[in-house]
Amino acid sequence: MQHLDPDRLVLLALSEETEGPFDFDHLAECAVCRHELDALRTVADLGAESQDLRDLPPPPERIWQSIEAGIAGPAVTDLAERPRRSPRSRPRWLMPVLAAAAAAVLAVAGTVVVDRLAHRAPAERVTARATLSPLPSVPAAAGGTVRVLAEGEMRVDVRNLPLTTGFHEVWLIDPDDLTRMVAIGNLSDKPDVVLTVPPGIDMNRYRLVDISDEPHDGDAAHSGRSLLRGTLTY
Amino acid sequence: MISHDELAERLRDGDEKALRTAYERHGAAVLYLAQRLLSNRADAEDVTQLTFVAAWAGRETFDPQRGTLLGWLLGIARRKAIDRIRSTVRDDRVTQTVRAQLSAPDQAELPERVVDRLVVADELGRLPAEQRRTLELAFFDDLTHPQIAAVTGLPLGTVKSHIRRGLANLRRRWEVDGATSGSRSAGSSRAL
Repeated sequence: MQHLDPDRLVLLALSEETEGPFDFDHLAECAVCRHELDALRTVADLGAESQDLRDLPPPPERIWQSIEAGIAGPAVTDLAERPRRSPRSRPRWLMPVLAAAAAAVLAVAGTVVVDRLAHRAPAERVTARATLSPLPSVPAAAGGTVRVLAEGEMRVDVRNLPLTTGFHEVWLIDPDDLTRMVAIGNLSDKPDVVLTVPPGIDMNRYRLVDISDEPHDGDAAHSGRSLLRGTLTY
Repeated sequence: MISHDELAERLRDGDEKALRTAYERHGAAVLYLAQRLLSNRADAEDVTQLTFVAAWAGRETFDPQRGTLLGWLLGIARRKAIDRIRSTVRDDRVTQTVRAQLSAPDQAELPERVVDRLVVADELGRLPAEQRRTLELAFFDDLTHPQIAAVTGLPLGTVKSHIRRGLANLRRRWEVDGATSGSRSAGSSRAL
């Protein structure tokens, strides 16, 4: 038995031509050609339906941040400096903040300067310090240091921050409850800024320093776009 | 841009940058599928996150010989989305039952169809430029072979062979990665 010509099947599948008596008779008898035509028709239909899928919008960065947090979890236990914390089930609205924070804790854990005595400057008494490291979405050249001074001030040095159409804000975050955070102030254009730490704030608790990119949207809450992170050590 | 094979290999080797690249390449398709299945943006984003985290955890089970990375990711996403629907039903059986009664069943799209469409769309994007162009004119603009020849300036015979080969490529990919391939999908993503 002679099967239908492959080009003929394509034309039928695309409905460019309709089945004539010869096609009809053959398809009624030939399971192979029927199967071929069915498959080609389905694929052609799927193809025609795929137009809207050509340019899907890129997925939001906050999902990526929560993915990073998800894959960072077990690795944290490899670092001796941080106690192991069991993964907990959290409300989903927390995910972006948690994600960024967890990734950052991991990112900076290895780089935090531990020895405060060795770095103590005679002129200003440093009570805590942190090395700020860029989050994965931020150019690797970005970074900075934070020194908390005995007088209740915080000196922030940053370099190579990505440009922003808004402003850069400094936060202190409780790494054990990442919804808890305090806005400390904004960075000016100068690389070295001294900010006042609100009196009475427990720096042992709010020890995760975060530099965020904030839009001028009148929303005082954290934008979720963290650029640098570092944990204060004493 | 690194090749799909190389990306798969790097991912299997535990390169986190490869996961990022996979997210940039396929995150939109995974999120689209999740949204189509869940109709709730927050759930869809959760499922997208779960999918990539599961893919990372199970990266060694991905077998590029048996399908593409996209097909594998969509397989995981489909199961995560269905898990999410099931747990929602458990959490809120009454509401769900009411909702199910309200919405006409024929409006809901089969997950398999969405997966198939994403796979075919991805393959279409990977075809050689002329093959892709002729198929796009046939699919989206509903042009006949002679019309496509006129629009593109290609000989009719070339148009014919582009379309025949292009369709064959789409079909092969659909058979490998499409939802109906089920158990043949790349790797044991079922366990993820």
